[in-house]
Amino acid sequence: MCDSCGCGDTHVIPFDVHERMLAANDRAAAHNREHFHDHQVTAINLMGSPGAGKTAILEATARAMGRGVRVGVLAGDLATENDAARIRAAGIVAESITTGTACHLDADMVHHGLRRLPWRTLDLLFIENVGNLVCPAIYDLGQQANVVALSVTEGEDKPLKYPTMFRKADLVLLTKIDLLPALPDVRIETIEANLTAVMQRPAMLMVSARTGEGIAQWRRWLEGIGRIHTAPCASCAGAGVSV
Amino acid sequence: MHEYSLVQSLFDRIGAVATEQHAVAVKRVRVTIGDQAGVDPQLFQSAYEIYQIRTLCADAPLEIARLPGADLTLDSLELEVP
Repeated sequence: MCDSCGCGDTHVIPFDVHERMLAANDRAAAHNREHFHDHQVTAINLMGSPGAGKTAILEATARAMGRGVRVGVLAGDLATENDAARIRAAGIVAESITTGTACHLDADMVHHGLRRLPWRTLDLLFIENVGNLVCPAIYDLGQQANVVALSVTEGEDKPLKYPTMFRKADLVLLTKIDLLPALPDVRIETIEANLTAVMQRPAMLMVSARTGEGIAQWRRWLEGIGRIHTAPCASCAGAGVSV
Repeated sequence: MHEYSLVQSLFDRIGAVATEQHAVAVKRVRVTIGDQAGVDPQLFQSAYEIYQIRTLCADAPLEIARLPGADLTLDSLELEVP
């Protein structure tokens, strides 16, 4: 009501907010991170294009880790539970987060997904994000490290075309390297130079889920991350191999 | 197309502020989208224009400030209050 005469007129006031648009997601991510820390679970947010080889890497990781390390996967996709089914067939626990139309996972979806997984008993939880090099990059999920899978067939300039994604990566897995003999024009040095141009701490490992090449180094990187699981943020987990 | 999810978060937050302040309408919305935020300002604007219909923000123009860096913030509102 109007202060002066009681006429009922409204008035317009400025109101400062100054808050991150993703503040609600940040709070949910901090909550997830606290859970992971309390139960000594190392959570990895695995991102990459559709077809970059994320699921194949997880299958190979399950085989490489053996029985000593308890591994689980939350796999995000718009539709189908195919990835989780593939990963379960490789012998590790996996559940799907079916996002419907959403092009990324957010911290709340992960929190809900955890309810269907015996995550407290795990050493290593992979959150396999929706295949997409754009949207997943800006959502914190509570992970300890971001890993981006980039296959050798995707083009050397992907890091330059999608800098936000690669800037957030603690490690890039260059996948499908068994295909390199069929790709004489792909230059590893160019990919490395492009990663160096955008990544905060350039780190890349070359792997083939099919032949197992590089999987031992990947396992060592994961073990390095696991030993420092109390690190407060993803970018602090710098146990990578410099490019 | 995460711009649509972001706009949804934005409207959730604006709704909470408007309720707190007993606002009858929002007259202006100011945000910052950094050039490294991973958000397309034009898509964000389109998403905003779709969402604002029949909300408290129906008549509120969106002002987007572009800055270097990865900032992605709701800066301020103009609220119509009794």
